Amino acid sequence: MIRGIQHRWPASSTAIHHLLYKYYDRHFPVKDAKTNISSSPLALLHICMEAAVEVHQIQLQVLKPVAAAAAAAATATGKTLSKFSMLTRFHAGYFRISLSLCGQALLWKTLIEPSIDARALRAVVSRLPSFVFVLLWSLAFLTLLALCFLYVARCVLRFRSVRAEFAHHVGMNYLFAPWISWLLLLQSAPFLRPNTNGYLLLWWLFSLPILALDVKIYGQWFTQGKKFLSTVANPTSQISVIGNLVGARAAAQMGWRESALCLFSLGIAHYLVLFVTLYQRLLGSNSLPAILRPVFFLFFAAPSMASLAWDSISSTFDTPCKMLFFLSLFLFASLVCRPALFRRSMRRFSVAWWAYSFPLSVLALAATEYAQEVKGAVANGLMLILSVLSVVVTLVLMVFTAIKTNDLLPHDDPFMCSFNNMQ
Amino acid sequence: MRQLARRRASRVAPRVHSTYSWHRGVSLFKMGREHKGGKILQTPSAGAGVRAASLRDLSAGIRGRFVLASIAGSRESERTRKIRGRDPGFRKFLYSMESKQRLAFHSEKGTGMAMQRNFGEVPRKACSFPEPGKPTPLRGCVPSKLVPFSVPIDRGLKFQMGGKEYQGSSSQSSPDPESCPSLFRYITSKSVAGFDVTPSPRGDPAFAEVPEATDDDIQAQTLCTPSLSMPIEMIGPHHAHSISISMPTTPSAFHEEHSKAVLENENGVAYPTGRQTHHPISSTAGLLQQKQAKFHSQPLPIGNSHTNMPPDTKLDHLVRPQQMPRNSRFKDKRYDSFKTWSGKLERQISSLRGKPQEPEEANDSKSTKPEAVPADRFFDALEGPELDKLKASEELVLPEDKKWPFLLRFPVSSFGMCLGVSSQAILWKTLATSPSTSFLHISPTVNLVLWCISLALMGIVSAVYVLKIIFYFEAIRREYYHPIRVNFFFAPWIACLFLAIGMPPSVAATLHAALWYVLMAPIFFLELKIYGQWMSGGQRRLSKVANPSNHLSIVGNFVGALLGASMGLKEGPIFFYAVGLAHYTVLFVTLYQRLPTNETLPRDLHPVFFLFVAAPSVACMAWAKITGDFGYGSKIAYFIALFLYASLAVRINFFRGFRFSLAWWAYTFPMTGAAIATIRYSTDVKNIFTQTLSVALSVISTIAVAALLASTVIHAFVLRDLFANDIAIAISSKMAKSSTKDDGRILASSSDTADVEATVDGHLLPVLSGEPMI
Repeated sequence: MIRGIQHRWPASSTAIHHLLYKYYDRHFPVKDAKTNISSSPLALLHICMEAAVEVHQIQLQVLKPVAAAAAAAATATGKTLSKFSMLTRFHAGYFRISLSLCGQALLWKTLIEPSIDARALRAVVSRLPSFVFVLLWSLAFLTLLALCFLYVARCVLRFRSVRAEFAHHVGMNYLFAPWISWLLLLQSAPFLRPNTNGYLLLWWLFSLPILALDVKIYGQWFTQGKKFLSTVANPTSQISVIGNLVGARAAAQMGWRESALCLFSLGIAHYLVLFVTLYQRLLGSNSLPAILRPVFFLFFAAPSMASLAWDSISSTFDTPCKMLFFLSLFLFASLVCRPALFRRSMRRFSVAWWAYSFPLSVLALAATEYAQEVKGAVANGLMLILSVLSVVVTLVLMVFTAIKTNDLLPHDDPFMCSFNNMQ
Repeated sequence: MRQLARRRASRVAPRVHSTYSWHRGVSLFKMGREHKGGKILQTPSAGAGVRAASLRDLSAGIRGRFVLASIAGSRESERTRKIRGRDPGFRKFLYSMESKQRLAFHSEKGTGMAMQRNFGEVPRKACSFPEPGKPTPLRGCVPSKLVPFSVPIDRGLKFQMGGKEYQGSSSQSSPDPESCPSLFRYITSKSVAGFDVTPSPRGDPAFAEVPEATDDDIQAQTLCTPSLSMPIEMIGPHHAHSISISMPTTPSAFHEEHSKAVLENENGVAYPTGRQTHHPISSTAGLLQQKQAKFHSQPLPIGNSHTNMPPDTKLDHLVRPQQMPRNSRFKDKRYDSFKTWSGKLERQISSLRGKPQEPEEANDSKSTKPEAVPADRFFDALEGPELDKLKASEELVLPEDKKWPFLLRFPVSSFGMCLGVSSQAILWKTLATSPSTSFLHISPTVNLVLWCISLALMGIVSAVYVLKIIFYFEAIRREYYHPIRVNFFFAPWIACLFLAIGMPPSVAATLHAALWYVLMAPIFFLELKIYGQWMSGGQRRLSKVANPSNHLSIVGNFVGALLGASMGLKEGPIFFYAVGLAHYTVLFVTLYQRLPTNETLPRDLHPVFFLFVAAPSVACMAWAKITGDFGYGSKIAYFIALFLYASLAVRINFFRGFRFSLAWWAYTFPMTGAAIATIRYSTDVKNIFTQTLSVALSVISTIAVAALLASTVIHAFVLRDLFANDIAIAISSKMAKSSTKDDGRILASSSDTADVEATVDGHLLPVLSGEPMI
């Protein structure tokens, strides 16, 4: 069995060999080398299962002290390198905050548009002064700017951590997040019309990194390398799809139909692949730590975003849009019905909580477009509920973030210790 | 398990090639048996190398390889001492060897681990080790998994295994052969029922000699303390005879497996052995077989050996080799298993010519009817991106060192040439007729010329392949079972569709609709077969056989839909488009996932990946033809194709260092297809960028085809290795190593347990890929 694995993974490192040898030494020492372990398939199977469990345990045992050591090291060196330790603990996952805020900004922009027939919300929206939206947009912009500045500093000063992040199956996907945030912010900009040159320039600026990351990551999936999709696929992988779809929507709004369609087809093809893979629940989706469970909400963000993008491309909220929106709604309902899934991640505040907000904003956006197309009481009610929910969740998260600033950069972030381990 | 081991052992037969070697052979045999008991021969100095052939290392397949390899080396004693213990030093050595030279040590993944397991515990009682001064109670002994061996007369030690030879000059002194351990004689005389009674099966003189000599020895010797070092010394090169230990990798399957060992005779003329043993003296091997067949853990009544093994089946084929020296090319029986009529036709022809007909062997048809090769075997026995290289541990049915008949070397992937050229014809037709490329002023003559060339090529290739179907149907069958080759059975029909699409307007303006139905019928039936296999499981379910070349079986749908729609048909093209799209979705996702159970995908990027581009680029054109305009559906497919093309193109350094293969031709048509799709797109979205892109892609595809043409010509006429031996069809249908079965492969025998295996693999996966779990 072990042989078979090694055959499949011949590139496995020497360390793994050592690990397995050690395991074998322990279990089949020289003195009982005559133990007939191959006497029956059952026994062999048992041994193999045992080996699998064992390896898991070993891994956990390895990881725990590493995490503890990392935390200890971080606290010890925190005083001396206080200004840099924050950079070490910072990672691309913090772009969830900017993502949520930019999503909110876009939602608000859509809601206050006069063309939107938001009957139920009209009363609320009209009472709010217009500077509230500008305030929200500015907040999102400043947050994104600050995060980007921090991340650039991290790239310069902690390049190894960034590289480790790039190789990590969760961290890699969050590299899309800053560009998605910028594109969302671009779409919701109160002063920039989509048909201006500035918009075009900024679109290219923010879309090219997404395309480059696509080529890198999707190519890695289907050609070669160690990153098998079946092993790296996890709910955060959908961020890459969302990146393409957001880019497509922005391109469609400035009238670049072909580029929009190109990005959309990229996104939708890989969404199909990801969707099937995630539904199969291969290894990748199981390897997500409990604290990151909120990212399961991304499951319904991707189809909502696809519906929005297709709406922009085809200029009407047609049948494909509706199908995608209903799929998204169903996935949202099925996640909401499982509060137990998120219980463990809700014990303590972490930046992963911010993952709740953005999918809700996107869903509310899709519901707004749907209500605009259908013009029914149910559709309007849906829009109202979802919009209010997303606003409330975002506000609660902002409050929590303001209160629990200490938890924002924890010393035992699962991300960080895994990055450190990789280094 | 014990019974299994016993059965396995009983089928093992050493091959002995001279009277001398008979002694040595049996002593070796004895050594193997002793090792089985778990003892290690403690020879102080001499023969330390062979001492390494300790315990199950010798008996269990791979370990045998290690041992022998280390014998061959000059620093034998060092290494072999390490072999015995499971000390980390050796494991490190193994590991380094494993990474450095896979061929030499064909350690087959993690042998270090396997070394530490004890395969097949043998009961102490049953296999007692001879105590000094005591006669060995051989009765009821379980013979170990033996190393069949042969001892030709030559100089130097010569170990041959798995197609590799380790030749080493052994410098240890060895005693005279006459001082064989008495134990050995005792064994041979007393315990072997019918050893000297069994009549020579074919009156072979060599056969008769052996038992007599042994018998004399027995009478001359008294029982004395067996020298444990003796067996080792026996195989020393003292007699200026070398020992050629030919190790079939499966001791258990001596009869089924097809040893390619080279047996050498005095002249040094090598006879590659096919199914048969080609040496007269090897009939002694048959004797040994008989003898071993009686080794059970319980005492047996003497003389019932024939109940266990009917001599007819076992010995008959041993005689045939005697006819080998007068083999001509046409009488070569080794290819008979692949011939449609087992050479009967040739005989008839020769008899028509007035030549005397040679008598047919009665058992000829018996031995030459191979059974179907299971799908797993192809993955086990072959490697390489196209599953066309033989693993070092495996053996061929056909002779390895000779050029096979041309038809046997002519693979179905040759139709890839037709694909490549006829798609070029379409490209030039599109370049000449498309409004977006009218600024290039391409002459339609190019299309005509290319089309004529591709038609002629198609005719030639089809004719040759039809001949192959007629004469070597078994080869076709094996190609059909090959997980990658089977997809190439779509190639001729797709090439025909291409020819129909690329038909120059000057030849025929319109085509009759019947042509479409005629061309789509075989594609439809092939799809019924292959998609059904994917769906309904079994050995060839998609997760097992998925690899990029499966796209060939998808593309046919889209090409057919394209042709049908351009001919004006309505429902048929939509039918094929729907079928193709559904299965393309499944395949696309499966290939993207690269499941751990899917081993065929190569680690190195190969042109086969360009097939990813083929299906979406053809699908976009087909959908445009069906709907009448290049709409959203077509564009989505087109952009997917373009992205896949781009993500392949940026990985340029994966396109280096590959051996040329005829199958590459099949991988050029995706490039051509992408170029055609781009031209089609640029007619819809006409601007500088799309026009530049279409010209660039056309140039790239033409250059690729031209380069491929040049290398094909070079390989065909200069290097003359265009049609190399088609290894992929000649693998043996049985597992080559019994030891492989021992440690885990036995699980894979049934599909259910194979799934369990995959699950366990899955759990280990992150560890092996060096990925930390968070």
